[in-house]
Amino acid sequence: MAQGGSGMGISSSGASVLVRQAGELIERAPGGIKLVDAVELLVAWGRANSVWPLVYATSCCAIEMMSTIAARHDLARFGYEVMRASVRQADMIILAGTINEKMAKNLVTLYEQMPAPKYIIAMGSCAISGGPFYYDSYSVIKGGDRLVPVDVYIPGCPPRPEALIQGILQLQEKIKKEGRRNPWKVRDTLKVPFEDIFSKAQAEWAEQEKRKDEELREAREQFKRDKPASTAPKSARLKKEEFPTPPRRKPAAQGISNWTLLQMIQKKFPAVEVHDHPGVSPKAVAELGPDYILDLVVPPEQYREFAEYVKNEQSLGLDMLIQLTCVDWKDSFDIVVQMLSCRDGHKLFFRSRAEKDPATGDAEIATISDLYLGAEWHEREVYDLFGVRFRNNADLRRIFLENDFPGYPLRKDYDDPTRVVKRPY
Amino acid sequence: MITESFSEYNLDGNTLPEGFRLPPPDDEEAEEFFVNIGPQHPSTHGVLRVVVRLNGETVVEVVPHLGYIHRSIEKMAENQTYVQNIHLSDRLDYLSAFSNNLCLCMAVEQALGIGVPERGEYIRLMICELQRLQSHLLWWGVLGMDMGAFTTFFYGFRERELINDIFEELCGARLTVNYFRPGGSSIDVPDTFMPRVKHLLKIMPKVLDEYSNLLNKNIIFLERTKGIGILSPEKALSYGCTGAVLRGSGISYDVRKHDPYSIYDQFDFDVPLGNTGDSYDRCQVRMEEMEQSLRILKQAAARFPGGPHRSQPQQNYKLPKGSYYSQVETPRGLLGVYIVSDGGIKPYRLKYRSPNFSNLNVLNELAAGHKVADLITIMSTLDLVIPDIDR
Repeated sequence: MAQGGSGMGISSSGASVLVRQAGELIERAPGGIKLVDAVELLVAWGRANSVWPLVYATSCCAIEMMSTIAARHDLARFGYEVMRASVRQADMIILAGTINEKMAKNLVTLYEQMPAPKYIIAMGSCAISGGPFYYDSYSVIKGGDRLVPVDVYIPGCPPRPEALIQGILQLQEKIKKEGRRNPWKVRDTLKVPFEDIFSKAQAEWAEQEKRKDEELREAREQFKRDKPASTAPKSARLKKEEFPTPPRRKPAAQGISNWTLLQMIQKKFPAVEVHDHPGVSPKAVAELGPDYILDLVVPPEQYREFAEYVKNEQSLGLDMLIQLTCVDWKDSFDIVVQMLSCRDGHKLFFRSRAEKDPATGDAEIATISDLYLGAEWHEREVYDLFGVRFRNNADLRRIFLENDFPGYPLRKDYDDPTRVVKRPY
Repeated sequence: MITESFSEYNLDGNTLPEGFRLPPPDDEEAEEFFVNIGPQHPSTHGVLRVVVRLNGETVVEVVPHLGYIHRSIEKMAENQTYVQNIHLSDRLDYLSAFSNNLCLCMAVEQALGIGVPERGEYIRLMICELQRLQSHLLWWGVLGMDMGAFTTFFYGFRERELINDIFEELCGARLTVNYFRPGGSSIDVPDTFMPRVKHLLKIMPKVLDEYSNLLNKNIIFLERTKGIGILSPEKALSYGCTGAVLRGSGISYDVRKHDPYSIYDQFDFDVPLGNTGDSYDRCQVRMEEMEQSLRILKQAAARFPGGPHRSQPQQNYKLPKGSYYSQVETPRGLLGVYIVSDGGIKPYRLKYRSPNFSNLNVLNELAAGHKVADLITIMSTLDLVIPDIDR
C-alpha cells in the first residue's frame, strides 16, 4: 500500500503541480494567457463531452434513466452513453432514486472510490431531499447531498428523460467553466443524514413571505389611491361536476363457502371463533356477503396445531400462503396468516394473539416456517419491524434493517426523533 | 465483487457468513469461496444484494440480503388518508403503478360499498393491460441485456415509449401515475386515447413476431434458459410464488381468471402455462401473456362505452372498523392490500403483500447447482422489482 501510494502520488498530484507551474510560467509571457486559455478550453471541452456515468440505479428514476439511454431519447448524442458498472471507470454518479440508511454507506464508499474529477447529479426528489419520503420515514436519507457533494439537481418524481438530458447539459456547462479551478480537489463527504433542514428553510421562507405580503399590501393601497374607480373582474366559477352513485358490483364467491369451511374447522377446533362476530350462525355468515373472507381467531396455544391442520387437511384445499403479517394492538400483537386455495379460489385468514411483555413490549409465538417455506421471510419481516419472536425459526434475523437498528419501527409506540421528521400537518 | 476464500472465513471457529446453512464441504478438493454481488450491481436490477457460495464456478448456495431500498412505506401509510396513500402505492412496484393503485382503491370500495360506472371499469381494465404490456416489454429488453445482447433493450423500449405516451396524456406522468381513485379514475381519458390504443393494437402483433424471431431461436438464449432454474410446482406453492413464476411451473392461478375483479369475467382470454418450470418456460409465459393482453385490449376497444368515468367522490373515505383485503394480478404476480381500520380516515395498519417478495425467496432453490452466470439469467426471469420487495 505504501509503495503503491507514493507511486500514485507522483503521477497524479506531481503532474498537476507541474502543469500548474508550467501554466503560470506561460501565463506571464506576453500573449501566453491566450495559449493557456486555448488549452484549458480544449481540455474542458473534451472532459465535458466524455463523461462516463456509473449505473447507480436504486428505484423509479432508474427506469427513466434507462428510457433516456434507449432508442427514443438516445443519450449517446451527448457522449454520456458509456454506462460503467464499476465506479473505478466512471466520472459521474447519477443518483437515480431513493437512498436509505443501509445504502448510504455504499454511496459514500462509491464516491470515495471514484477517481477525480468526479461529479454527481441528483436525479429526482428523493435524491434531492428525500422527496415523498421526507416526513415519517425512519430509513430514508433526506437528500443525496447530506452524504456526497451534488453538482446538479434535477427535480421531478421521476424527472422526464428530457429533464435528465437538460441536467446533463447543465453539468457540461459547469465542467466547461471549471477551467483551472483545480477540479482534482476532492470535496469532503458529509455525514448528517437525518437532520431536518426543511424547518429551518421554512422559517426563512415564512419570513420572506411576510415581507412579500407587506410589499403587496402597500402596492395595492398605492393602486387604490391612484385609481379609485377601478374594480376587479369577477372570477369565473368552475361548474361542479355531478357523478352517479352506482351500486357496487359484487364479485362471485369462489370455491368452498365460508359456512362450510367454518363447520369443517369447528368440528376439529371448537375453540376457534370468527373475528368480530362471536357465536355466528349460518345466516349471519351468508349475510356478510360473497367477498367476505372468513377471518378466524385461534387461541395462541393451538396456533401451531391449527396451521398444521390447515396444511395437511386436503379437503380444505388451502395450498398457498399469501402472507403472514402482524397488527400492533397496543397491549398485544395479532399474528395474521392469510391462506389461499389456488385450486378452488377461496381464501381463509386466521389470527392468533401474542401477548406483549409489559416491560419490553416483546412477544413470542410458534413458527410455521417449517410448514410453509415462504413463511420464513414473512416471519423475519414481522420480527424486524415488530419485534415478535418466532420459536424455532431457523434463521430469525432482521431482514430489512441493519442489525444494530434501535427499536422496532412498525410498533405504535415507536419514536426516534434522530431519524423521523414528523409530518407537521 | 468481493471474494473471500472459505478457509479465510473459517480462521476463527466454524462460522459461515449470515444466512448460509449448508455445512462446510467434506471434500478436500472443493474450492469453496464467497462472492458478494450488489447492492450496486447492474444485473441485480436495482439494489438487491446476493452473497453466493461458489465451488469453482458452480453455485452452492445463494443468500439474498434485502433492505437497501426499504423506504418505510407501511409506516408512512398510517399517517396519511386513503387517497393520500395512492401516490405511495405507485412507488412500490413502479412498473405496475396502475395495478397497485387499483388494488388499494378496490379495498376502499369493498369497505364502503362504492360502485364504479361501466366506463370507469373499462378504463381500469384497459390501462392495467397496457401497463402489463409495457412492463413485459421492459422485462424482455432487460432479459436480453442480462444475456449479453444489447439489441433487445432498444427494441423493447421502442414500443414501450408508445405506451408511455398514452399514460402521459392520461395523467401527466409516465411512471408514478396516481391515477385511480375509489369509484373510478381521477380524470377521464383524453380524445387521443382510443386512436393511440388502436394504433398500438395494429402494430403489436407484428412486433411480437419480430421479438420471437429475434430471441426465441437464438442458440445462446436457448442454452442459457432451457433446463436452467427448474422450480417444481410443490416448491412454487410452498414459497407462495405467483405470476409467471407460478404459471411457468404449470399451476394455473391468475387472479384475473380464478378470482375475477373489475370486469375481467366478461372477457375472453387464456392463462398461458409452462410445463417444466425452467427459465425458458417463465420467458414463454410472459411472451404469451403479452398476446393475451392484446386480446383483452382488442375486445375492450371494440365495446368501449361512454358515460361517466367515476362515481361521486366523497369528502373523506372513512372506513368502518374492521379489516379488508383485496388482490389484483400485477405483471409480476399477486398483489394484496390488507387494511386494518379503526374507523378513522387513516388506516390503522396497511400491509402490501408484494409478489416479488415471495418470488425472490426461491432464488436459492433455483440457482443451486448451476453456474454463476446462470444465476443472473434466473434473476432476470423472475422479473424482480426491488422497491416492491423492500417496501
